[in-house]
Amino acid sequence: MRPPTNQRTQRRTRRERDDKTPRKKRTCRFCDAKEVYIDYKDEKRLQRFVTEQGKIIPKRITGTCARHQRQLVQAIKRARHLALLPFMSDAIR
Amino acid sequence: MDSIKRLYETTFIVNASLDDPQVDAVVTRVQDTITKNGGTITAVNRWGRKRLSFPINKKTNGFYVNLEFEAPGSLLAPLERSFQLDELILRHLTISLDQRAIKARAAAAARAAAAPPPEPPAPVAAREPLFKEQDEEKGA
Repeated sequence: MRPPTNQRTQRRTRRERDDKTPRKKRTCRFCDAKEVYIDYKDEKRLQRFVTEQGKIIPKRITGTCARHQRQLVQAIKRARHLALLPFMSDAIR
Repeated sequence: MDSIKRLYETTFIVNASLDDPQVDAVVTRVQDTITKNGGTITAVNRWGRKRLSFPINKKTNGFYVNLEFEAPGSLLAPLERSFQLDELILRHLTISLDQRAIKARAAAAARAAAAPPPEPPAPVAAREPLFKEQDEEKGA
């Protein structure tokens, strides 16, 4: 069954709008820096990949590649265990 | 099989309300358990007293110590046990350093060693002060 015509046109216009807004190409910061190892002790750097609430930012937002995101997540979790990073920010608690 | 040595890294948090000699005693105790069980300590990094990002056992500060050592895998069980029994240690984390970590460490060391020499030569360096002066003026 085809959807009604008005719905199809709506969808098309939305897609056109998306095409018009230029999308900034994001690259993995760790790949750019040719980083081989993400250290859990480097809390200042890890902080950039965590929201104010203390949540890990998804790679679709930061642009980190899959390989480095995995390493990053491990590093953040290690840092949390050692109380270098919060599990949850003080403001929310 | 047990004799294969690996590079490990352990970080632990000592109760910061202790005096410095007491903290030292805890650190030497940990070092002793490593050396007694066939490990050799390669580096001791004391980060000192730091604020914890959340309270652990109702304490908001901790004394961080980071040790690197080479040891057989059989050392880890007694080490972990000693950490658990020690009431002055709030948290601990032991990880084995994989190839990537070792490589990154070597690269960082090489960078640190290579960084000072390139600075003195290069004629560009003579021009730089001009910009710096401007920056200073802006800052002032």
